[in-house]
Amino acid sequence: MTQARLTVEDLTVRYGALQAVRDISATFQPDSIVGLIGPNGAGKTTLLNALSGFTDITSGRVRLGERDITRLSGQARVALGIVRSFQTVRLLEDESVFLNVALGCERNPQPTVVEQIFSLPRQWRARRRDLAATYQILDTLGLSEFAGRAVAELPYATRRLVELARILVVHPEVVLLDEPAAGSDRAERDLMGRTLRQLHAREPFTMIVVEHDVDVVRKLCSYAIALDSGAMIASGEPDVVLENDRVQEAYFGVGHRA
Amino acid sequence: MRIAASIVVMAFVGLLPFALDSYWVFTLSEVMIYAIATIGLDIVFGRAGQLSLAQASFFGLGAYLAALTTTLPAGLQFLLVVATAMIAGAVVAIPTLRLSGLRLALVTLLFGELFIWALDHLGSLTGGTQGLVVPALAIGDSNSQDPTYGYMLVLFFAVAATLTAVQISRTQFGRRLLAVRDSEVAARSVGIGLVRTKVAAFMLSAIFAGVAGWLYAHVVGFVAPPTFDLFPSVYFLIAVILGGAGRVAGSWLGAAYIVLIPQAFSIIGQSNLFPILGGGVLILVALLLPGGLMDGATRTAGWIRARYAAMRQMSSNRRPA
Repeated sequence: MTQARLTVEDLTVRYGALQAVRDISATFQPDSIVGLIGPNGAGKTTLLNALSGFTDITSGRVRLGERDITRLSGQARVALGIVRSFQTVRLLEDESVFLNVALGCERNPQPTVVEQIFSLPRQWRARRRDLAATYQILDTLGLSEFAGRAVAELPYATRRLVELARILVVHPEVVLLDEPAAGSDRAERDLMGRTLRQLHAREPFTMIVVEHDVDVVRKLCSYAIALDSGAMIASGEPDVVLENDRVQEAYFGVGHRA
Repeated sequence: MRIAASIVVMAFVGLLPFALDSYWVFTLSEVMIYAIATIGLDIVFGRAGQLSLAQASFFGLGAYLAALTTTLPAGLQFLLVVATAMIAGAVVAIPTLRLSGLRLALVTLLFGELFIWALDHLGSLTGGTQGLVVPALAIGDSNSQDPTYGYMLVLFFAVAATLTAVQISRTQFGRRLLAVRDSEVAARSVGIGLVRTKVAAFMLSAIFAGVAGWLYAHVVGFVAPPTFDLFPSVYFLIAVILGGAGRVAGSWLGAAYIVLIPQAFSIIGQSNLFPILGGGVLILVALLLPGGLMDGATRTAGWIRARYAAMRQMSSNRRPA
């Protein structure tokens, strides 16, 4: 169960003259599923990067519980349980599904390199623990039959699941998903939405999802934040946010009612 | 089954020196020595993807340390070689903080050139371009320059190096190396420390090369700069690429290639042909088997198995029900 709440206060990320994210303040309740919506270039991915430590924060704060993590490196944030996926799948394409997922066991405490190389007792225990965790998450996500296959041989939707398995192999605190259903068709999007909800129900964690698909956001998220040109224009219940005039305008253009 | 096979193989390689004449025993020792260094380069280049042209320098470091510390007991020499190689590996790894690919290779090349320069200019210590004679290391009632004893000594370390490389594939450290090579973004996203992993890979690779060089000095009995300059560094690289990056058996094949093929050419009295043919072989492998010889062997085996299965399928279909 997630204990800590993630909060951002007056968060701004600037690239030269461009303010990719402007003065965003929000609280992500523990174990909630929050949808980040907005048109292209609204700053959704930048916000995710700022939360995960993949981009420098110009001003403002990020906190996990009471802890100020604004200046922590991406690596340090991963160690706190803040893990992310990418808009384009980032996997070791020539390696097996098993290896790709086991990579996520990095967040378990690992013995020193010397202990690993000489296969000392701490390494046996770590190895047994990591293998078990990897097989279990592969089973949960229905990937067991692909365990030995090279990632490059698999269809795109399956590779998405492999990336998800890499995140979930060690229970995370906060999961940041950047368009988990991008490049998928309708059926695959629905399946991804259902899978995420089931995984979340089994072992809750705070989930922040960038998603374009309005239906997926409605069904999946308990809270939504709408961004436009780097600023937050609405937040609250997904249904309410999606009906908001400014969101409608940003999404569908002026005067259009869906 | 695997254990039985390993015992048979070990018995075979253990008895080999008693069946061959001393020239070939010595040559096989050389193959094993180069295999140890190649396995080391495979860790940093084949697995972690960091292009290094300094492997022969680490090899030379071990060899010259052996030559300069002959008065020390063997165990102490070994520890000294390991410690020095670790430090040298860490120093060479510093540029990886900012560089990768060809630019990194150029900086590692610079370290290699500095090493050769130092050997040439510290003549009173290193013998300069003349090199140094290394007295044999006493082992029991014989010594390391007796072909059979030398072979056994090298065999011990070659087996240890092979087992270490296999073990690395089974660890999170081994997975970190591959992640650093294939996708630094993915590596960062799971919390892998890129710098730490690269430095560890360089240190480990330097230890393998240093130990190989130490063995080389004691078995061959003579060290001189040309054995440790840019060309051998390139040969190590060729061995990794030819054999197949990330595969221990590939490193062995590659090492056998860089030791045995030049010898074969000199036996037929055409040693000048090797660079030409060697280049041709490299081009062929790069074009036809981008994964190296081991990858080619695995694929061929898979293809044969598939054909065999298909044939059995067909013959069983033909049988009346």
